[in-house]
Amino acid sequence: MDEMRFVPSSGVSLGVELELQLVRPHDLDLSRDAAALIARLEERKITGAVKPEITESMIELNSSVHPHHDALRAELEVMREAVVKEAGVLNLRVCGGGSHPFHDWTDRRIFPTERFKHIVERYGYLAKQFTVFGQHIHVGCPGGDEAVYLVHAMTRYVPHFIALSAASPYYQGEDTAFQSSRLTAVNAFPLAGHMPFVKDWAEFLEYFDKMRGFGVVESMKDFYWDIRPKPEFGTIEIRVCDTPLTVERAAQLAAYAQALARWLLDERPRPAKRAVYLVNAFNRFEAARFGLRGQLIDPYEERKKPLADDILEALAGVMPQASALEGAQALAALAADVRRGYSDADWLRERFAANKSLAHTVRESAARWAGDKPRAGG
Amino acid sequence: MDLSFLPKLPLELSQPVLFGALLVLGLVCGEAIRRYAALPRITGYVLAGVALGPQGSGLLGADVLGATRLLVDLSIGLIVFELGFRLDFEWLQRNKWLFVTAIAESVFSFWAIFAALTYFEFRPLLAAAAAAIGTATSPPVVMLVAHELRAEGQVTERMLLFTAVNSVFAYVVLTLLLPFLYLESSGDWQAAILHPIYVLAGSGLAGFVACIAMLGLAGWIGKREDRQFVLLVAVVVLTVGVAHAMNLSVMVTLVVLGMLARNLDWNHVLLPLRFGHGGQLFFVILFVLTGASLEFDALGTVAAAVAAFIVVRFLGKAAAILLLGYPSGVRAGGAGLLAIALLPMSGLAVVMVRDTATLYPGFGKELAAVVLSAVAVLELFGPLATQFALKRAGEAHPEAGGA
Repeated sequence: MDEMRFVPSSGVSLGVELELQLVRPHDLDLSRDAAALIARLEERKITGAVKPEITESMIELNSSVHPHHDALRAELEVMREAVVKEAGVLNLRVCGGGSHPFHDWTDRRIFPTERFKHIVERYGYLAKQFTVFGQHIHVGCPGGDEAVYLVHAMTRYVPHFIALSAASPYYQGEDTAFQSSRLTAVNAFPLAGHMPFVKDWAEFLEYFDKMRGFGVVESMKDFYWDIRPKPEFGTIEIRVCDTPLTVERAAQLAAYAQALARWLLDERPRPAKRAVYLVNAFNRFEAARFGLRGQLIDPYEERKKPLADDILEALAGVMPQASALEGAQALAALAADVRRGYSDADWLRERFAANKSLAHTVRESAARWAGDKPRAGG
Repeated sequence: MDLSFLPKLPLELSQPVLFGALLVLGLVCGEAIRRYAALPRITGYVLAGVALGPQGSGLLGADVLGATRLLVDLSIGLIVFELGFRLDFEWLQRNKWLFVTAIAESVFSFWAIFAALTYFEFRPLLAAAAAAIGTATSPPVVMLVAHELRAEGQVTERMLLFTAVNSVFAYVVLTLLLPFLYLESSGDWQAAILHPIYVLAGSGLAGFVACIAMLGLAGWIGKREDRQFVLLVAVVVLTVGVAHAMNLSVMVTLVVLGMLARNLDWNHVLLPLRFGHGGQLFFVILFVLTGASLEFDALGTVAAAVAAFIVVRFLGKAAAILLLGYPSGVRAGGAGLLAIALLPMSGLAVVMVRDTATLYPGFGKELAAVVLSAVAVLELFGPLATQFALKRAGEAHPEAGGA
């Protein structure tokens, strides 16, 4: 049972995982050189870790654990630079975004590890269709009971993270009309969804044991929940974000999660409430489909309101916590984008409208990830 | 009764009949050899050509083969255009060792072959010309094998890059050697100097002009995949025709066109190119015709020199890649596989030998026999080597079957 012991974290520490796309410059389709790139990166002394993901077109950057936004952002920038440089040596480009706009999922090849092979055997085509790219945010918790509370309380804010990170409007060569089409690919898995409404860590363990007893899961990894506790890290993990188009945005999203968590844990403004899960599916859909232009049903106030307003209120509400955690600027940047109704999904649509080619949209997106200045008129 | 509506016998067979018959026969042989012998399709296409050619049934006589020269040029033109269009100068900027390795790969194999041929007591000038021709890897073979295996990865990308570099290298070195051959036969030193300048500068310029036209028209047409495809094919065909008419090098002109089209497209007007199944037509035709023009007659008499030619050519390529590959990002096992993948020689070499021999009879019959025999051997075994290397490197698509 040791793996399920909740290792307490100090403060509300912060870490992120970013799944990234590897594309080849000649046709901007997904490449399959993850192993070669990872091998090169292993020889470089950078903090954090770069790991393979389920298909060979994907790598995952894992940051270290940080107390504040600035340190996280600085580390992500160093990692980005290393990844972009080594990818260049192998004639690859690296790209953010929740989906590759036009790859053909049947072309994907699975990274040859036991776990991934098992996933393919079990899930068939879902595993290959799962070539989508997400950001996971870890926030440290002092204990298991706090983690359970935080998962329930944070669920109300899941639509915020979906709308703020949305960067997958295109999928299989089509405009999906969604801001985040990636989330739909996750929904197909039987263990997707949310944590059951348990009241504390003891009750959660009871549930987990039961599921393991049935053979439904082997470990926490098998739950693809929107937010899940991660006992061995002492964190909760928010998994609904698309990988943004820039590391800056990724760090800003993490800073918001951290400030929210601090506020929720310190002030306990609201009790955990089952009603949150009644409106969850609707709220989630609105955020994925319409992004910042969607609606949200507030399960506590029991009324519908524009999602953008709700995000701005929440950002303002946790500003004191953000300031204490040196993340005020990051939240201000998010708020500014919400006010002008901007998300990465809009940027991608805007670029496609300008250059009329998904391939060239990918090329520009890769340049944006690398931090290149856009060419005038280009 | 007037039966004049019936055709007169024997039937007068036109070019389309020949073209179609070659395609069908090549296709059938390619498929058969893959199914029943588990060999690459290319080997089947080539064998079909051998069976039809002067060496086999003689259905394709030397006169017919001469008439198909434009068809061969067209196929090579489209293929090397596609090859050039894949090459990103940015990669060479980001990976300086890569270009060094590519040049070294060409230089090493050139010197290795040159040394071996002088050991067999060929005159140095002729040995150098033959070595230049031998440096080139076959663009059509590596392109087709990569395409049929749906291969992707570091070995595949480098194989294509190195093939483009060593093909251009081979042609440039050969062209620079021609004045010396020319002087020996005619003594007209002005023509000796002007000819290479005309061919090299002319081919480069023709490629550049075609590229500007292509980019301009593509920008005007807009980003529509179907129309751009037609435009690209049209410009390529036109350029092949012009290069052919002006006695320029079709290969150099079209590689230059492809490379410039990719790398001068600053406003990004061109879409990624997918020849898809249409490209197959040209591959099949090219390999059947190459097969028909292979020469095995001399193989017996020059076997030792041919064996040496093939072995040192491989060693030269392997040495360069093993020595310099690591800093350019080739992994340990990848270097050897890359050298194996670069083995194929092809019709391009046949064309170069023929052109050289026509212009300069001084290019000895025996030396031509060595190169052409090496081509014959590598035309049959090269595709197998490339297929093996890409599969072994794990870069072939698991569902792609054999090439």
